[in-house]
Amino acid sequence: MNPFVRFLTSSIGRKYVMAVTGLSLTLFLLVHMAGNLTIYAGNQAFNDYADLLESNPLLPLAEAGLAGLFLVHVAFAVGLIARNKTSREEGYKAELGMGRKTVASTTMWVTGPLLLVFLLIHIWDFRIAKELVEEYDLAEMVVERLKSPIGFGIYVTAIALVGLHMWHAFQSAFQTLGVAHPRYRALITHTGRLITALLVAGFGGIPFYLFFLG
Amino acid sequence: MIQKTGHGDMKLTLEVWRQAAPGAPGKFETYEVDANEHMSFLEMLDVLNQQLVERGEEPVVFEHDCREGICGSCNLTIDGKPHGPRERTTVCQLHMREYRSGDRIRIEPWRANAFPIVKDLMVDRSAFDRIQQAGGYVSVNTGAAPDAHAIPVAKQNADMAFDAAQCIGCGACVAACPNASAMLFTSAKVSQFTLLPQGQPERERRVLAMVETMDEEGFGNCSNHYECEAACPKAISVTNIARMNREYARASLKRR
Repeated sequence: MNPFVRFLTSSIGRKYVMAVTGLSLTLFLLVHMAGNLTIYAGNQAFNDYADLLESNPLLPLAEAGLAGLFLVHVAFAVGLIARNKTSREEGYKAELGMGRKTVASTTMWVTGPLLLVFLLIHIWDFRIAKELVEEYDLAEMVVERLKSPIGFGIYVTAIALVGLHMWHAFQSAFQTLGVAHPRYRALITHTGRLITALLVAGFGGIPFYLFFLG
Repeated sequence: MIQKTGHGDMKLTLEVWRQAAPGAPGKFETYEVDANEHMSFLEMLDVLNQQLVERGEEPVVFEHDCREGICGSCNLTIDGKPHGPRERTTVCQLHMREYRSGDRIRIEPWRANAFPIVKDLMVDRSAFDRIQQAGGYVSVNTGAAPDAHAIPVAKQNADMAFDAAQCIGCGACVAACPNASAMLFTSAKVSQFTLLPQGQPERERRVLAMVETMDEEGFGNCSNHYECEAACPKAISVTNIARMNREYARASLKRR
């Protein structure tokens, strides 16, 4: 068998793919969040930033790459979860636990699919919906969506899920990639938590700002 | 020392998993047992079995061998914790002074598809043997034994290799893992040799073969909960898993 294929079908290889795509998506989320913050400078600044992105001829390529990252991350997750959920067909009758697993680590398989559902809603809201109209004002669309109680609820919940998912994911990815020297372990864990807090605060502040103050 | 009669005696209620054969339906049976706080957990089970034999009932099958914490046979999950409540302790080294008279204790076997139940509390851990056979060895030339100091080994590497080599292959890592993954065991065996100069000739071949065998045996994947490290009676560190992951990626790149 081709060594590359063999690597990608092995347990460790598949986890490598999860880690690499996951960390890439984290990088994307940080850039996305930074862009979103322009809304605090007003609708015009937000729309100018959106125009800047949309006028870039490489945007379709970036979008395709991003879609690919998500697809690969989801597809490999499905395979890994299926294996993990069937590796102990007859479970323990007493509750198993040594006290090290966390809510975040044990709910990855729940937060993941929920985030996928949110992603589809999100893409519909701000990517597909604007293709269906002649003219649009993206900032207005954002304000309208987040000022509705349902929109506000969906986005705030999704951001909380991102936080929960990321809380475990960041250090887990580094451990999977083999970067877990005891000297750096605390640094990696704290960096992950800082990035998670930044993402939650950065993304999460906007719905609250628009819903209560906008 | 002569023990005063009755000193430290305790009455316990045990819920023990009874299963007649592999694949047979099993259930918990409840037993009352008179024990003493100076007994080890296995000695307490010996007392239970003596009671059962005297009553003409079938004794509980559980695996044990050295009873001094190094053979890795006594694989019991006690109240949801592999090897019981004490850290870095095998069941044989767990003593009844951890419990109080009147306690109710639930005893189950390891549970994982790769460790099928043989009977009652005994499981078949030969999947670990097959992982070991796939690469857990070093090649040495025949003839006179080489001098122990013929090949210099850095102290730090010797210490890390020794820490990994402490793995007794009990399977608590698999039992504790929410995914029934064997990565802590396999990584300890890979690390033990990879860290030493004697392990270099088979370095790539070893990690590839051991991981492939581990996957074939039906263990789950590691999702970094680190429950294995907490359950391990020898406190094998999860940094070994990171090392195995690195080694596997490196070996895959070098594979022809």
